Parts: sequence; C-alpha cells; structure tokens
Amino acid sequence: MATTTAAVTLTSDLLSDAMSVTASTTCMKAGTSADGLDQLEYAVVEIATGDEYDLICTTPTASKASKLFVKNHSIDETYYVAITQNAQAIGRLYGGDWMFIPADFHDAAADIAITSNGGTNKIEYTLFHEGTVLTTT
Amino acid sequence: MATTTATITLSSTDLLSDEVALTTTATLTGHNTSTGVLAAIGLSRVTISDTSETTIFDASAYTDDKAHKIYIKNTETTASYSFLVKVGGTELGTLYAGDWMFAPWNADTTGTDCDVTITPSNSGMTAEYMAFID
Repeated sequence: MATTTAAVTLTSDLLSDAMSVTASTTCMKAGTSADGLDQLEYAVVEIATGDEYDLICTTPTASKASKLFVKNHSIDETYYVAITQNAQAIGRLYGGDWMFIPADFHDAAADIAITSNGGTNKIEYTLFHEGTVLTTT
Repeated sequence: MATTTATITLSSTDLLSDEVALTTTATLTGHNTSTGVLAAIGLSRVTISDTSETTIFDASAYTDDKAHKIYIKNTETTASYSFLVKVGGTELGTLYAGDWMFAPWNADTTGTDCDVTITPSNSGMTAEYMAFID
C-alpha cells in the first residue's frame, strides 16, 4: 500500500494569543483504512491572463477520495486564478497561495477549471487519485 | 499587520520510485494587496445529530470576491464516515475520516450564493472548521 501523508499548519497573530492549528491525514482510498491512494498526476503550467482551462485533463474515477493540491507560483499580489467547478465559483488563488481539497469528480461536468487574471499565472498541481479513464487513441 | 500563514507538507516514500516531499507556506493576504487577512472565524467544532446538510459558511455574511480561505476537518476515525462538501450547491468532494481541506473561498453571491455546506454520511459525526476573512 502506498502511504501518502498530507499535513497542514495554520498560524496567526490575528488574535490576542498566538493561534496554531495542525492536522495530518494519510490519503486513503474511499471508505477504507487499509489501502492508500496510489496514483498521481503532476504538472506545472503557465496560463495567460483571461484564459480558462480545465485543470484535470482526464477523468479520475468518480465519487472517490481523490485529493487535489494547487499552488499559484505568481509573486505579484494582483495576479490570481479563479477556481470554479462546473461553473460554480469556489475561490481565488492569489500569488503564493495553495489549496488542498477533496475532489470527487462526480460527473463529466465536475472538472475543476481555472481562469487566469492579472497576468500570466504559473500553476503547479498534483492530483492524488485511485483510478482514471484514459483517452483512447 | 497580522501575519497568518498556511503550511502544507505532502510526503510519501513509496508512491513513486523516489521519495515525494513537498512543503510550501503561504502568507494569507487580501485581494490585490500584500496586507494580511483581517479576521479569523473559528476554530469551530460541530456535531451533527443526523445526516442533514448543514451550512458552515454563509456567503451572504461576507464580502464577495475576496481572498477568504476556509479550513474543514473530518474528526471521525471510522474510515467510512465521510462529509460531502458542497460549495454553492455543487459537490466539491468528500472528506473521509481524518481528512482535511484548505481552500480559497470568494463568498460569491452574484448567482447562487457560494455557501459552504457539509453533509455527514452518518448521524452524530463531528467536524471542525475555520475561516480567514479578507
């Protein structure tokens, strides 16, 4: 079994006392503690401003426990990519920001799309998944 | 200026033929500015007594098209106990036992309100969540 661990630490001095939240999970296949996610897709792409693309080119098996990591490598604070799923706005990933979400790709329209704003954004992403439908040649 | 950071570490020694080790830190700032996010909501913890869909972030309560960030964790330990996460009614994905997510959220209200909801697979499940507000 492949073992992939995802850990997060959130810290802030917004409050009157220092805040620190940590969490760690082993990325498992859907509904099991015996078998980890064992496939991945990784890429770095540059997207010109105004362009919109589906981030995931193939269709990971639907309704599974896929996890998607995305980072915006832009350093200009006015640059961001808008994240949508099935045309529903999710949020904006500004320069230096990252996200880590479950992505179950429950139907063919559920691809996660990004739209580049402000300038050319350099995006890194990794999809941990448990199966995909490859395109037949 | 308050400084809020989010650090992720992704690691595996056996997923590939070589080790995977990725760590990155983001300093959370506002829309089009290097000024840090202005507020934190939570950390909150909720136990949902049934399997009903529950709103944890109401978009209408926040300014839309900003650089908000949200964090959600499924605190359960039974592998099959999951929360289905939706944003604006659209399925995002499923958080299984122990899973967490960290995502940008623009609290959009121009069409369907971009509310964030969680639906537990079983009654009596507990989740933790918080938001950093721009």
